[in-house]
Amino acid sequence: MRSDAQALKGHLDVLLLATLEDGPRHGYAVKEALREGSGGRFDLPTGTVYPALHRLADAGLIAGTWSVTDGRRRRSYRLTAAGKRKLAGERANWREFAAAVTTLLEGVPWPATS
Amino acid sequence: MASHQLIDAYLGSVAPRLPADTVDELADGLTETYRRHRRAGLDADTAARSAVREFGAPDLVVAAFVRQSAGRRTARALMSTGPLVGLCWAATLAAGHAWRWPVPVLVRIATAATLLTVIAALALAATARTWRRTRIAALAGLGLVALDATLVAAVVALRPGFVWPMVLAVPASLARLAFTARFLLRARAS
Repeated sequence: MRSDAQALKGHLDVLLLATLEDGPRHGYAVKEALREGSGGRFDLPTGTVYPALHRLADAGLIAGTWSVTDGRRRRSYRLTAAGKRKLAGERANWREFAAAVTTLLEGVPWPATS
Repeated sequence: MASHQLIDAYLGSVAPRLPADTVDELADGLTETYRRHRRAGLDADTAARSAVREFGAPDLVVAAFVRQSAGRRTARALMSTGPLVGLCWAATLAAGHAWRWPVPVLVRIATAATLLTVIAALALAATARTWRRTRIAALAGLGLVALDATLVAAVVALRPGFVWPMVLAVPASLARLAFTARFLLRARAS
């Protein structure tokens, strides 16, 4: 869905990091984890997931290692220590943000400030 | 079931436009997608068409790599911060009466020429629409490192007397040196 893809834009990096939390994955497996983990809502063109992974690797948040599978060269990615810290921080921020939005949308009274 | 001519054609389309390692990675992903469709029971042609469609058009994928390349992003960062660093140095040179510094004319001309070349190269890399053009950023980075090192070395060696804009210009150049050197080291490793 286009609106989902738009909404995903600002959160793609952290979602990609989250797909690597349980261990290394190659690009296609990352894309599949994103699709399956979102119940099919975040189904990006596979080819555009790779550039994002390269950008995260350039930033030192993930690291790629090469292996050979069925005669093909395969690059798998894992979270680095910096990536784990980034994921933990972004997760905490998201929880606070989501709690505030839920409070607003569901009409829960604001906590008293005095 | 190893491959299909549609997949070969797709890879043949992106191969001249991306680094070999990246093409290998895309080949693995595309083949994996194709095999998954085959295992799900699709015939070879339908599986290949579905895999290629899932991957996205070659132009879209190449454009995404170019847009997110370290060269293009670094060039954009340097272009956006360049005027501020340049302003700090202009203020430093003007306040320090740089035209009186004992610097040979040839060095002055070479510095100005390098500056203009670096700006042009950064502009090309920052607006790159092809992978090859993003590589110009490394050349621009080398020039920028030389420029920043020359300016800081000139201040240290010539001791022109303290002027307050130096407090901004020297740290700005050192920070840019570190940023650019990091990019160059990563570009060399990749």
